[in-house]
Amino acid sequence: MSEAPPLPSLARNSHIKHCKLCLSGLPSSQVEMDSSRAAVGFYCLGALDLLGAKITDADRAAWRNWLWAQQTRGKYGTGFKPSTYMTPGNDSDYSEYDTPHLIMTYTAMLSLAVLRDDFARLDRPGILHLIRACQREDGSFSALPVGGEADLRTVYCAFVISSLLDDWSGMDVDSAIAYVRRCESHEGGYGQTPFGEALGGTTYCAVACLELAPSTAASPRETRMSPSHRERTIRWLLHNQTASGGFCGRTNKAADACYCFWCGAALSILGAADQVDSAALARFLADCQFKFGGIAKAPSERSDPYHTYLSLAALAIYPPPAADETWKLPSLNVLWNATTETARWARKHIPASN
Amino acid sequence: MDELPLYSERPEWVDVVPIPQYQDVDALAPINYSEEYQDATDYFRGIVKTEEMSPRVLQLTEHIIRLNPAHYSAWQYRYRTLIALESSLEDELRLMDAFAIEFLKTYQVWHHRRLLLTALRSVDAAAAELAFIARALEADTKNYHTWSYRQWLLAHFNDEDLLWSGERAWTENLLERDVRNNSAWHHRFFFVWGSGVRKGDEDREEILRRELTFTKEKIALAPNNPSAWNYLRGVLGHTGTPYASLSPFVKPYTATSVEKIDVVDLDNPVPSEGAELPCVMALEFLADTFEQEGGSQIPKAVETWKLLANEFDTMRKKYWEYRIKEALQASEP
Repeated sequence: MSEAPPLPSLARNSHIKHCKLCLSGLPSSQVEMDSSRAAVGFYCLGALDLLGAKITDADRAAWRNWLWAQQTRGKYGTGFKPSTYMTPGNDSDYSEYDTPHLIMTYTAMLSLAVLRDDFARLDRPGILHLIRACQREDGSFSALPVGGEADLRTVYCAFVISSLLDDWSGMDVDSAIAYVRRCESHEGGYGQTPFGEALGGTTYCAVACLELAPSTAASPRETRMSPSHRERTIRWLLHNQTASGGFCGRTNKAADACYCFWCGAALSILGAADQVDSAALARFLADCQFKFGGIAKAPSERSDPYHTYLSLAALAIYPPPAADETWKLPSLNVLWNATTETARWARKHIPASN
Repeated sequence: MDELPLYSERPEWVDVVPIPQYQDVDALAPINYSEEYQDATDYFRGIVKTEEMSPRVLQLTEHIIRLNPAHYSAWQYRYRTLIALESSLEDELRLMDAFAIEFLKTYQVWHHRRLLLTALRSVDAAAAELAFIARALEADTKNYHTWSYRQWLLAHFNDEDLLWSGERAWTENLLERDVRNNSAWHHRFFFVWGSGVRKGDEDREEILRRELTFTKEKIALAPNNPSAWNYLRGVLGHTGTPYASLSPFVKPYTATSVEKIDVVDLDNPVPSEGAELPCVMALEFLADTFEQEGGSQIPKAVETWKLLANEFDTMRKKYWEYRIKEALQASEP
């Protein structure tokens, strides 16, 4: 608690530059992003949104077009694919190996909201069909209608998509909620799948899901987490803030910038945001800034769009006290993970009822 | 594999029509592909189009996966080809052994194994997998995918003699090497409490005693180890055991220094020499014990939380103050 050195500035311009550079192209070393490019785009656009960066009309139009080109229709319904990495031509229907992907559908929809698209082209019934095709017997959702990973991340995406559409008819809410609850571990956090070790990212997904889904007869929203479970989850999350000021994702691991968001956002949903040491959090993230732009997972590591976006999102929830102007960020819709303004736009333009 | 010419230059691939990636608009975050990757994926799209499933498809998908292990479509197509060709899934697993270590952090590597094991339906193969996982964890003792895969295997095949029976000794060995390995602690909770009753573990009172003894010994060894304290809390919560039953053990860890004790109490090992005391997690546990007891004990809980807030765990000051406020409100008549 002794005198802390003053907080350095948030290098906003460098971070904007980093994200714009990634949007314009990635080096061949990033080839592993080939099957998740829509998500990379979301992190870049989300960061630009938080930083209030100017986007030219030409870029806006081009990026919207690209995102809409990823919306694909077929026998399992409609959604967004990660990129054209498996697309042979301008065919009408997708193959079994080029289907839409739940995580990409979530990130593409939010990206289009960041770009203030009017969503006239959104195939709402088709997306509900896709969600239905992805739900499995145990209540979880697979990333693809033909399989792939099924865990709390994909469950979270199905929940946010339903919430964005304001239409939950694409899923069996009760069995999905039951799946979420089965992922809770003895520590109070939630694992990626049932039996898994408590993990910051999937704990965020779980508490957001429990909050997002409307009440059902079997599961009224306010009874989904008992007070003692809630307290246990809050306790575990708060204990993840390490002496460095940053959060770790699992007990006894080192802090990582992304968990400042996952744990911090979960705490905010649980109504415990005022218990986080936001000054220490900002000091850690300030140290994670990469000198050539962007934010890294830990001090002296290389930056990337994922950690850049999540760090900024964490700071939007936890503005450091008595910091200079550079740290001022717009407020965040913590459940959807977008700025309040973008969420407002999405709410106005995405649901079919509008 | 690196020295091989491009597929477009190989006579044995001349019958395949390569299909370039379809890109008609300014792309978002386009990747500057290497020539090798571009060429291999052009041929892969060509293969998928004609739905060819043949041994050379296995070579091609292996090549692509080596270049980009996150290419989930290549994994998907590879799996379906293996099944269509009735290839040896055991051979595939051996190939995957090398992949798993090389691409340890890639989800697809583990997902593919899961599909193979599901198709094999063999408990013996599952038992061999446990041995493989143990080796893989040598490279990264806390790898999340690896641990999840082990937990899935155990629950899916659910065989006491061939699978579950070795878990305790194996996990204890891991904890002996690193008592702070939370994945190992979590795994212990999973197989002792979270997935039915193991053979020989039917006397639950006895198991509770065994687990408490084990945990206390580990805490004595390294008192400031949240994994062990979380395990302890988990066991007490799961069995509905009051925290107060642990008080004789916990007290010495809340003192400011290691106390000299004349009579050795084997049930309650004391902090090891040189332990950093007081232990924050012991103070927290003590405060929770007082809170559970309620009534006249609440002021003692408050005093302990104040110690944490103002002296020993100041980062969570606001949390401890919140706990004080809540406890005082709840205890008001």
